[in-house]
Amino acid sequence: MHRGLRFYFCIYRKILAQDLKSKMSYRADFIISTIGMICTNISGFLSFWILFQNFPSVGGWSYYEMLFLYGFSLVAMTPVQCLLDNNWSLRYQVFSGDFVKYCFRPMNLFFYYQSEVFDVKGLGQMVFGIGTLIYAWVHLELACTAWMVLKLVVYLVSASLVMAALQNAAAASCFWIENSFYLLDLVMRFKDYAKYPMTIFNPVFRFVFTFVLPIAFIAYYPSLVILRPEAVPLLSWLSPLIAILLFYLSYKIWMKGAAGYSGTGS
Amino acid sequence: MSYIIEIKHITKEFKVLNRHEGLKGSLKDLFSRDYRIVRAVDDISMNIAQGEIVGYLGPNGAGKSTTIKMMTGILQPSSGEIVVNGQIPYKNRTRNAKEIGVVFGQRSQLWWSLPLVESFKLLRDIYEVPEAEYRAMLDLYRSLVDIESLLHKPVRQMSLGQRTLSDILAAFLHNPKIVFLDEPTIGLDVSMKAKIRTLIHALNREKQTTVILTTHDMGDVDALCRRIVIIDKGKMLYDNDIEHLKRFFGSYRTLKIRMDGDLQQSAEAIAQQMPEFRVSADTDWISVLVDEEQASVMAVLARLQERYRIRDMQLEEISTEAVIKKIYEEGTQ
Ligand SMILES: Nc1ncnc2c1ncn2[C@@H]1O[C@H](COP(=O)(O)OP(=O)(O)OP(=O)(O)O)[C@@H](O)[C@H]1O
Ligand SMILES: [Mg+2]
Repeated sequence: MHRGLRFYFCIYRKILAQDLKSKMSYRADFIISTIGMICTNISGFLSFWILFQNFPSVGGWSYYEMLFLYGFSLVAMTPVQCLLDNNWSLRYQVFSGDFVKYCFRPMNLFFYYQSEVFDVKGLGQMVFGIGTLIYAWVHLELACTAWMVLKLVVYLVSASLVMAALQNAAAASCFWIENSFYLLDLVMRFKDYAKYPMTIFNPVFRFVFTFVLPIAFIAYYPSLVILRPEAVPLLSWLSPLIAILLFYLSYKIWMKGAAGYSGTGS
Repeated sequence: MSYIIEIKHITKEFKVLNRHEGLKGSLKDLFSRDYRIVRAVDDISMNIAQGEIVGYLGPNGAGKSTTIKMMTGILQPSSGEIVVNGQIPYKNRTRNAKEIGVVFGQRSQLWWSLPLVESFKLLRDIYEVPEAEYRAMLDLYRSLVDIESLLHKPVRQMSLGQRTLSDILAAFLHNPKIVFLDEPTIGLDVSMKAKIRTLIHALNREKQTTVILTTHDMGDVDALCRRIVIIDKGKMLYDNDIEHLKRFFGSYRTLKIRMDGDLQQSAEAIAQQMPEFRVSADTDWISVLVDEEQASVMAVLARLQERYRIRDMQLEEISTEAVIKKIYEEGTQ
């Protein structure tokens, strides 16, 4: 059954409103996790800053360019963190058989599953990211034209899609593999390398991060389009297309796994 | 007559990897093609009409849940045909979902952190239930069970029984044509069981909802099902009215009498007098298992009264429990 975007949008809004309401009622939990999020971001930023106290540039990238990359990756990761956080419990739900409950509703299974959890903490990360981006933007004296902003938005969206694709695919592996947590964890660890220009890695890793575990598309290739438009590899320009393709593939993989799921014997 | 569920010769086989032991074994498993076939459902056919309540019974591992999964569309039969509501469930999983309700005992399908009434509202939107029908349904629920106290409780704070009750209400909310209940009374206390039975019965009567129920509690069967289907090791053993089943095993009834004197001795005397019936005694009662094909209970009682002074008597039907137990143990051959 195909239902319109409006239907899904409306349902999502209602679930979200209810979910937020119930989260607010656990106030201590809410405050502690917000503080935790702020600390994580500050410490991430500190280690970044300390690095630059010792090196004037990394892989030919200046401090502010690196800062731009850093902010860019933070913002790009927000949608995944907020909207697809339930991927983290997929493995458990599949293993215990609880996942079967998602299979009986007359709507898209992927949507239904992900709609159940919205991680508010991601929003704080986005604020950090946007702040960093603007700060770097001003210091790099980048133009503030409509064309630049459009480029920024399009490439941010595609970066998010790549991120989401990686997470979906890694999470969906639990439909076939029992110990899939390591895979998900591995992918999420490697995503930290997305904050660095690929030029600092040796060719082998550069190849891996482009074609095998394409984290280079999370921040590096898209940022190039904005920071160094004169010397951009073709892959950078293509990253929106690649992002859509990767996301679509990961969605198909996820759905294929879910369609084959039949629960535990009971 | 057209049926709401038609099942023709379905079979479901699972491929299970033969696991080896130890570290070396698990390495071997990684590349092993050593599969064993488990036939969970083996050539089952049945037709179910709109409005029926069917008890789907069988010992543990018989294949009940597997059959239900095929009817709801989350499993594809290895062979055979299922049509539910005129559709093949596996091929139209989402469309089928709109017409059915499902409850797996002990596995809630509600939003864990939301109060029940919010879950209901979300379900109303998801199933596109018109507001008037939604209200009418809630009113019906109110008239059947006390839901006021539950409506504003988050599901995660509910007891197992309250949660099961809520899940059943949620399954009926969009007025589906069929509701599948897989062990809905598992783990519940006597009064909650009774409440849930009354509820299912009333909803079936009010809305003509077809109900397929699996259970290990014969109380559920007695309270709800006219028709029962029994399977074992994936094979169909029985499909008919519950009354028919009892007759099928001979029309036995137990006559229990109480009298003065030593019951053990009297029982032996009666056994000699009526060698065609089985007679036993415990501390309070003498039991005579009467086969009504041979003599009516009244005739037996009259004969006994000629000889003994009977102070009290009871008549016991053979229980569903006993019949089902007998079938599980020896099949219907
Ligand atoms: N996913 C699966 N993979 C392999 N075998 C399975 C699977 N699901 C069920 N089985 C096997 O199929 C058989 C029937 O299982 P099923 O769950 O249908 O039984 P059941 O009648 O519901 O039993 P119970 O009353 O204990 O719930 C069992 O032998 C079970 O081990
Ligand atoms: Mg079962």
